[in-house]
Amino acid sequence: MENNQLQFSVSEFVAITNQTLEYAYPTVSVIGEVTEFRISQGKWVSFKLKDAEAVVGCFLTTYQLRMSVEDGMKLMVVANPRLNNKGFFSLNVRAMKPVGEGSIKKGFELLKAKLEAEGLFAPERKRKLPRVPKHVAVIASTESAGYVDFCKIINERWGGLSVDVAHTQVQGVPAPDQMIRAIRYFNSLEVLPEVLVIVRGGGSAEDLMAFNDEPLARAIAESRIPTLVGVGHEIDTTLADMVSDVRAATPTNAAEILVPDRNEIIRAAHQRAGALGHQLVQAIDEYSARTREQLNAAFRRIEEKLNEHSDRLSALKLATAQLNPENILRRGYAFLRGEVAVGETIEIETVNTIVKAEVKHVSSK
Amino acid sequence: MSAVSKKTEDTSVQQQLAELSDLVAWFQSPEFKLEDAFDKFKQAEALAEHIEKDLTKLKNDIKVVKKKFDTED
Repeated sequence: MENNQLQFSVSEFVAITNQTLEYAYPTVSVIGEVTEFRISQGKWVSFKLKDAEAVVGCFLTTYQLRMSVEDGMKLMVVANPRLNNKGFFSLNVRAMKPVGEGSIKKGFELLKAKLEAEGLFAPERKRKLPRVPKHVAVIASTESAGYVDFCKIINERWGGLSVDVAHTQVQGVPAPDQMIRAIRYFNSLEVLPEVLVIVRGGGSAEDLMAFNDEPLARAIAESRIPTLVGVGHEIDTTLADMVSDVRAATPTNAAEILVPDRNEIIRAAHQRAGALGHQLVQAIDEYSARTREQLNAAFRRIEEKLNEHSDRLSALKLATAQLNPENILRRGYAFLRGEVAVGETIEIETVNTIVKAEVKHVSSK
Repeated sequence: MSAVSKKTEDTSVQQQLAELSDLVAWFQSPEFKLEDAFDKFKQAEALAEHIEKDLTKLKNDIKVVKKKFDTED
């Protein structure tokens, strides 16, 4: 055995190995398939990553576990390689994400089922957004096209809104924690905004993975401020969407849901006022028709009365005519004037003549 | 007297919309009187004009908060 070889105690060897690892590979990213996934005592998570030729152990705490994992999923872990005091080499996982469409989908489905079982998507949890908010909070990357679209649409549609924007990453490993901090910040304000909006434009399934992060989904669900989430395109559904109070298909759609369209309101206001004009004209028409009807009724009554009086007058005229002495003479009768006594002269008046005659004889009938 | 009162000048768009709704409701209610209807109609027209004016001039105030979220406090 050579004397110049380094000699260590076991503890020293483990320590110097870890120092060397820390210097040479402080953080590594390793991709492999998960096997023997376990959670112990609700605190410790262990699994192995393997490929066709090798296998390596991985450890983390449940606190660091931000996604649901199952054996067979392909993961990329960001980790610190360590040799522990029991001589086992492992990767102390700092972050991890599924790799490949199948694993992303699997991770999403597992976490979705878990949150659904807890009732986080239940319709009765969903709060309504105010029809016209005055103060809103927005979490977005201010450099993103989605944010620009969102601002453009709210400015076109509405005014007088106070918007506080938290600029965060919306993609990549740091994104979920940044968004969680922003959610907590807005929820800690003395005067809460009326709506908390989270927006991000479209991207690949991997780009949108930050919105399938378990702690972020829980932070959105716990927000005291009602939430509106518009992430990706119409076809994309993330867990952040599902736990939110209101889901928007896109950032543009989020802006449309958030504020009414002022042009529509202006149009409606003019339409309502105009409709009152029509109602007024209609009321005047009805009033005129009613008045006309009442006048007609009054005229009809007067006419009836006049006719009634006219009929009575005609009857009276007839009766009076029948009493006229001329009419009696015309019927062949004659008036007799003077004393009806023998030797006296009397006057007899017919319709055409007046005759003076002497009474020759008087006898009783 | 102007159809838009001083009170209306000072109220928010929301209040003006509510005022317009009240006028519309009055036209349907038993309180409707032809004698008052013309004034109420003029008031509604003026409100619609005012709502348009207010909504058109309003601008949003968008501010990016200074706080950074990349690290825990």
